[in-house]
Amino acid sequence: MKMKKAASLLLGASVLAGSLAGCSTGNPASEDSTSKNGTTTIEFWAAPNPPQQAYWKETAKAFEKDHPKIKIKVSPIKESPTSEASIQSAIAGKEAPTMSENINRGFAAQLAESKAIEPLNKMAGYDDILKSRNMSNTIKGWKFSDGNQYVLPIYSNAMLFGWRLDILKKLGVNEPPKTYSEVLDVTKKLKAKYPDKYLWAKPDLADPTAWKRWFDFFMLYDAASGGNKFIEGNKLVADDKAGVDVLNFMDNIRKEKGILTKQSKDPFETGLGIFTDIGPWTLQYWEEKFPEMKYNETFAFSTPPVPDGTDTKNVSTFADTKGLVIYSSAPENEKKAAMEFIKWVYSKPENDVKWMEKTNLPPARDDLATNDAFKVIYEKNPALKPYAEAIPNAVPSIDNAKYNELQTYIGQYAVNPVVKGEVQPKKGWEKMKEAIEGDLK
Amino acid sequence: MRAKNNNGMGWLFASPYLLYGLIFFLIPLGWSFYLSITDWNLIAPVFHHVGIDNFIKALKSPGVHAAFFVTFKFMIVFVPMVIASSLIVALVVHGLPRFKGLFLIGFFLPYLASGVVSSFIVKGFLSYNSPVNTFLRGQFGLDINWLGTPLSALLLVAVIIAWKFTGYYALILTSGFESINQEIYEAAAIDGVNGWQRFWKITLPLLYPALFTTLILSIGVTFGIFTEVYQLTGGGPNFGTNTWQMEIYKQAFQNLSAGYASAVALIASVVTFISIFIIRKFLEMWGKRNGWT
Repeated sequence: MKMKKAASLLLGASVLAGSLAGCSTGNPASEDSTSKNGTTTIEFWAAPNPPQQAYWKETAKAFEKDHPKIKIKVSPIKESPTSEASIQSAIAGKEAPTMSENINRGFAAQLAESKAIEPLNKMAGYDDILKSRNMSNTIKGWKFSDGNQYVLPIYSNAMLFGWRLDILKKLGVNEPPKTYSEVLDVTKKLKAKYPDKYLWAKPDLADPTAWKRWFDFFMLYDAASGGNKFIEGNKLVADDKAGVDVLNFMDNIRKEKGILTKQSKDPFETGLGIFTDIGPWTLQYWEEKFPEMKYNETFAFSTPPVPDGTDTKNVSTFADTKGLVIYSSAPENEKKAAMEFIKWVYSKPENDVKWMEKTNLPPARDDLATNDAFKVIYEKNPALKPYAEAIPNAVPSIDNAKYNELQTYIGQYAVNPVVKGEVQPKKGWEKMKEAIEGDLK
Repeated sequence: MRAKNNNGMGWLFASPYLLYGLIFFLIPLGWSFYLSITDWNLIAPVFHHVGIDNFIKALKSPGVHAAFFVTFKFMIVFVPMVIASSLIVALVVHGLPRFKGLFLIGFFLPYLASGVVSSFIVKGFLSYNSPVNTFLRGQFGLDINWLGTPLSALLLVAVIIAWKFTGYYALILTSGFESINQEIYEAAAIDGVNGWQRFWKITLPLLYPALFTTLILSIGVTFGIFTEVYQLTGGGPNFGTNTWQMEIYKQAFQNLSAGYASAVALIASVVTFISIFIIRKFLEMWGKRNGWT
């Protein structure tokens, strides 16, 4: 009898403990979390890398001086196992912060579909931010299919291709090729002179992981299609001609033995490959690890090559861009305080200057190439200027909540088998479309 | 009365484990069952009960098919490899006149090494422009795509995991060897048994319990392969190394489909349970038929 009682007690205690844990309410949205002395504290999760952490901590301190009634707790987003999964767990456990950065458009679409983030365009002060930061054009591509803006882009890396200028010059080519046939011509010259080198040495080309398509397929596709959206809402609106052109381009380089998909260490830096996607973050890495990489000596940048006969000016490219979101679970006073903070940060161009100096990531503004405040950065680091100039033509990632599955199909059915010579480009494109359309139904 | 008191004490002492089991196994298992019949992503305010749709979808998915077959492919390659290597290590260590413990610790160390670190080292070692590959290309014209074909990638991952577990299993097998009474060998020598009879009639039967343990443990490992695959191949090429854990990870943490991932996890558990049960029965039958148990 006693044993039964003990067992019942044990079970009861466990169930109660479990229920209590499960019923934790965190910060209900309706509650006002203002403390007795009238201070609102907001929790801000920033990207876990040291430059961004340092930037946000300094900026928060400066803001608090001007706004003593708002406190900002900046902490790094945990990456266990990924930052997205950490955010998902936090929301599920009702422990989400007030706001966070480092959110890409695809993940934002997942959060928006789950009504976990606020449509910023419906919040007071949103228009002021766009105006004061001069970002009305840049943000246009960020509009979600429901017409709302859920993310305020912080930076926009208009992805460019890097070319080994020193090797190109040895081939008798003085500037990066701009069209597909020019690239093929360079491939032929390269293989004739250096049979052991490759045009494009990149293992990711054979890897179906979704995000990897941003840095090969989407760069070329955006350029070939003039920035076509690929997927709009739940509809595949891809430009067939541009898509097949891109795959044919990859296939033609493969046929010339210009693609290497085997694992290789620093292929571009060692000159094993002479063409690859480069983001501005690489420049900082090169400064430390490959000081011999000199802009306009060893390497040069170009927008993605385009099909023959296409205009080679104002070429579109993929925008690797991330931004800020405000979580719906936060109390109203915290949301207001968060908006106040965002407004304050982006009312001053010097905050964006400081951001770019610390991170090398181009702020998402329309005037980045023309605003005098940024001139000093380009004088110090001229390699950043092409990125600033490309921002108006940069296309952010797709805003579908299933972006991960959909982009995996691009690799699985089209890019990966094409670069391995396992499927004809047109057939690969059709199979990819079939898989995407099947999933979008 | 005394028996009842003893029972109560028994429950009391067992309660920490029971509580632990309840909170960390039973409640999550029940939760996982519930999730698997929903389309919930854990954060949406609205979700739907989808019955067995997630299970049907999983059973039709190429990723799940791959996980099923890849696990058995790993088993075929990894289990003989790790058992052979750990037997060799155990035999060598068993034959040492001294410092057995020291050598065993040395062989055991890879077990403590991080799978992430060892995978990174292997990745660098086998990269196209590594000294090894440059040498192979230059001297023998061998251009091997180590991680680029399903078979080579699977073999490579199996070798890394075998390297990691060899020392651990060797420890178990060495203790098996040590427990065999040397007098039996001496008596057998007087009876004039040859080397093969000595192994088959004495060593193997007496080592069987340790061997049984290592076999079951190594088979269990093949159902839980993740880190090496995640770091080296991402489950590719062409799903060639897509294990159960990799598939669950992709669905839960990349696609954020908690409901579907739970269904895949439950299918994986059932497959694991049935497979290990059948293999265990076979091993027991093998032991019984030879009179080892």
